[in-house]
Amino acid sequence: MVRVLMLLLPGLIPSWKFFKTIEPSPRVQWRLSSGPDHTENTWQEFRPRPERVSGAEIVKRLFWNPDWNEALFLVSLAERLTLHATPRSAQEILRRIKNELLSGQLSDHSVNYLQFRLVFLHREGEEIVEEVTYLSQFFDMSEEAA
Amino acid sequence: MTFHVALRVTEILLALAFIQQSVEHLRRPTDSQLIFLLRIACSLAVFFGLQTTWGLCGLCIISLAMLHRFDGPYNGGSDRMSLLVLWCLFLAQILPSGPLQEAALGYLAIQLVLSYFVSGWVKLVNPEWRTGRALRDVFAFSAYPVSESLRVLANRPTLTRVMSWAVMIFEVLFPISLVSQPVLIVALCVGAVFHLANACLFGLNRFLWIWLAAYPSILWFQSHLGELLS
Repeated sequence: MVRVLMLLLPGLIPSWKFFKTIEPSPRVQWRLSSGPDHTENTWQEFRPRPERVSGAEIVKRLFWNPDWNEALFLVSLAERLTLHATPRSAQEILRRIKNELLSGQLSDHSVNYLQFRLVFLHREGEEIVEEVTYLSQFFDMSEEAA
Repeated sequence: MTFHVALRVTEILLALAFIQQSVEHLRRPTDSQLIFLLRIACSLAVFFGLQTTWGLCGLCIISLAMLHRFDGPYNGGSDRMSLLVLWCLFLAQILPSGPLQEAALGYLAIQLVLSYFVSGWVKLVNPEWRTGRALRDVFAFSAYPVSESLRVLANRPTLTRVMSWAVMIFEVLFPISLVSQPVLIVALCVGAVFHLANACLFGLNRFLWIWLAAYPSILWFQSHLGELLS
């Protein structure tokens, strides 16, 4: 209860320092393998943003934007996981990737071991640099599907 | 705007914002859907003015359950403003009528002013914002642009510098709008356009609705401030 009240305090006494600096920005990437020792598949970005969004879609998203808001939550989770590697943030990210894989929204693969990683993008001089900050263990998807 | 009108309009706008947020969560099987069904029920009670105090009390308890469920806010700044509006309204309902009630709504109005001013000030003192570099970085590599095609704006330094200064000037000068009701109304319209642009470019739709919900408090606060000063 004390922890929840501590989480409430920044809401009641906010700092409002939006975008004070542009911090490194996370991407969640995943891959499936046939086993923990086989990492033959390449990393894929989870929920990549579309190339374009139409005007009608933008208007719709003013009222109905669950996927994007979940993507913003994933950004928060990735930042929390990098700052303090808590199992809870990792589980939240994993659960969302698993759900999409099991519901067939992602590519169909015959391999069962899921792994995800966090890649942070930041600028060094004029270059955009990627840095892997977290690599999960392998999770057996067949146990979930059973 | 009178205190009671401001309070009621804020309740209605908050209820609508919460219903919009909660319906989105119902789509996610990973979220605790019971929490959001209860949140919709309480929001409807507040919207229709049926047992408003109990509805707000229920929403406050649910806000704690959400903080526990997501281990913090789900959507950073918009959730923080949601908590602020909700708890200020709840306090304004349960406190004895008079100065204490007004203090609760006045606190919300002051925080709304600070939300613009502090946000503008921290940008203004940062050279990267003043040169437009920071906004170029937002478009270049941050997670916020809603489409890849928007990333080309990172290659438009003049445009991003103008946009950065427009945002900083608006945010830092916002407190001056309290000098008169017409000026404040113009400033709030500019603010609404600013949040609309953020919703379109960065998908921050929840910010738009919850900041609008806080606007009646400042309309009341400005007129009340005028009365106190005169």
